[in-house]
Amino acid sequence: MKNPMLIDRRTLIERALMLVGAGAAAGTFSASALASAAARTKPYLDSATFALLTAVADTIVPRTDTAGAIDAKVPATIDALLVNWASGERRYQLSQALVEIDGLAHTAHGKGFAQLSATERLALLKSHDEAALKVGAVQAPRSIKNIMAGPAFANPGYGKLKELIVLLYYISEPALTQELSYIHAPGEWQPSIPVTSETRPAAGGMF
Amino acid sequence: MMFDAIVIGSGMSGGIAAKELCERGLKTLVLERGRKMEHGTSYTDWMQPWDIPNAGMIPEEELARDYPVQSQCYAVSTATKQYWVKDSEHPYTTPENKPFSWIRGNHLGGRSLMWGRQSYRMSPQDFEANAKDGHGSDWPIRYEDLAPWYDHIERFIGVSGSREGLEQLPDGEFLPPFALNDAELLFKKAVEDKFPGRKVIPGRVANLSKAQPHHEELGRGSCQNRSLCERGCSLGAYHSSLSSSLPAAERTGNLTIITDAIVHSIVHDPKTGKATGVRVIDSNTGAGQTYEAKVIFSCASSIGTAQILLNSKSDAMPNGLANTSGMVGRNLMDHLYALTVAGIMPQGPDTYYHGRRPTGLYIPRFRNVTEDGEFLRGYGYQGAASRMSWRNAALGKPGLGAELKDRTRKLGPWMVHISGFGEMLPNPENRVTLNANKVDKWGMPTVHIECSHGENERKMAKHIITDAKAMIEAVGGIVVSTMTEPGTPGLGIHEMGTACMGKDPRTSVLNKHNQAHDVPNLFVTDGAAMASGGCQNPSLTYMALSARAADTATKFLKEGLL
Repeated sequence: MKNPMLIDRRTLIERALMLVGAGAAAGTFSASALASAAARTKPYLDSATFALLTAVADTIVPRTDTAGAIDAKVPATIDALLVNWASGERRYQLSQALVEIDGLAHTAHGKGFAQLSATERLALLKSHDEAALKVGAVQAPRSIKNIMAGPAFANPGYGKLKELIVLLYYISEPALTQELSYIHAPGEWQPSIPVTSETRPAAGGMF
Repeated sequence: MMFDAIVIGSGMSGGIAAKELCERGLKTLVLERGRKMEHGTSYTDWMQPWDIPNAGMIPEEELARDYPVQSQCYAVSTATKQYWVKDSEHPYTTPENKPFSWIRGNHLGGRSLMWGRQSYRMSPQDFEANAKDGHGSDWPIRYEDLAPWYDHIERFIGVSGSREGLEQLPDGEFLPPFALNDAELLFKKAVEDKFPGRKVIPGRVANLSKAQPHHEELGRGSCQNRSLCERGCSLGAYHSSLSSSLPAAERTGNLTIITDAIVHSIVHDPKTGKATGVRVIDSNTGAGQTYEAKVIFSCASSIGTAQILLNSKSDAMPNGLANTSGMVGRNLMDHLYALTVAGIMPQGPDTYYHGRRPTGLYIPRFRNVTEDGEFLRGYGYQGAASRMSWRNAALGKPGLGAELKDRTRKLGPWMVHISGFGEMLPNPENRVTLNANKVDKWGMPTVHIECSHGENERKMAKHIITDAKAMIEAVGGIVVSTMTEPGTPGLGIHEMGTACMGKDPRTSVLNKHNQAHDVPNLFVTDGAAMASGGCQNPSLTYMALSARAADTATKFLKEGLL
């Protein structure tokens, strides 16, 4: 049966490509606006850590001319996932990834990441992102297991944190209506359509 | 309670067996070990991406505890969790050095709800393979015997595909194909120009490109290209037991379905030599019950059928029912799977496509057909060309902020991937046995599965990769990913062969009618019956065998032969 359906195989392949790396502006929320902008219904993280997470999410996927991670409620979703999805080990890994980022801010600027200006946050996190996502020895994705495990980043905790922020953003309603295109029931299959300046990558498939 | 027929299992084979028996006037009982599900209301295809609980992610601790095997399948998520067994409740064993991934779902409709829907006929060459190279039992039928039943099934379930005139992949009764996109057409031209004898064709799939009146009568509609199939399709756009075969059976008035009924064994009367009924355990209460019938069809899946037959021991049949040959449980096969090559197409066309097609491209077998192979049998490829997804654009390299959003918003380059499906030789050492001292929570002996790839499969796996690279390079593709290790046996989810058909009762379990050599009113029409597996996705063949056997069984019954 599994032929794993082709769209799903495609997802696997996408992951494989990510393993081999085939593949700038400022966040718009001030430190004081972060907490209120990303309100949660049933908090898990303490407010300081949540503000830190919110600042990181806002820096990775900021509001531009379209919605950003905070508009898409990504921090609140991650907060919920820490309860509803993450194992204890995963919770520790993700919280350490946040602590590291805050530590870098303290070292460079003498204050927490959430207290930095948007420009400072972007510069600091960009540099961290480059270093953290280096893949050690070139990892050939030889098997499904290997691919499902994901890339062997220098900093796996940050890699997972970023992946969650980005994926949660791009499966959100604001992203799927403003950044990408998503039609739940596309109707007739059209194998060839012209590319225009309005064309956006279509999302969907597994999610 | 007496029925004309009992069908064990409601999945791909059981649904068709029930339909065909009911339509011939037999009062038919379907026994399903899993819970009841309703077409439409039990599905999750209505969920928007942002509605999926936990963004599709099953809690990590639950996944590790309850789904360590099932989670190896791509389609397991919070939107589909209901379709997969909890491994923690359905244990089986393997030798430590021979893992086997048994992927399954226990519910009304079985794996027909989650299947990949790729639908290909086996060819004359496939039915002759065992006789020619001596592996496995010679099929007691040839292609011509099954061809009209392939027609019958394709018409009923609806298979979309193109007519190609290929001997190794016979054409059928097709709905219009889901056409290749522009990059796939380029790939097709490059491959067919460089390698005469190889073909790149639209994947044949049991999704209704255009629903016909007989589909609409059952409440089925045309595919809307959503690619949400693994969540169940409320539109009934792909064939499943719930959308298609069981409703057809139900409208005859001859169908009874009992769910939550785990088949323990088949009752055998040594005086008549016939099976008289089926013992079941109520999965909720543990209570036992026996149902009687004149004819019994086992459609419990290849491993499930072997488990039931081996557990149906009696003084007359101490090695299990229908097992005087000793072949029940042997010759377990899957397909070589997950051998994939992907490449970027720098010269891809400046076009796009609309919709999430439920299939892709297919490359029919060419090794030991139009080109020699250094191994026996052969392989086909499934694949697709598509624009690289937003996921890769966003996460494929470092970067963040507006830069990340900008690059993700751009249409990605074309990529093409193809994945080989190779034939495993029937090998009696690849087998299912019962653990005498390990029972599940319902008291059923659990199965021990011993299955591994042999030398022929290893040679084939290497060639799958070599040929795939050459074809991707033929279109100017830059190979960026190769998966050279075959998936664990079982991950192809094409288990077959554990009660093989054959001409000789000493070396096979079933005759040319899928009728047990030893027990004339017992028919097995799931994957267990397969004497060899070809390299094609096998569900279409299971369904054709089921319909053919139902027709035969009814005739025999009416002629007083059973």
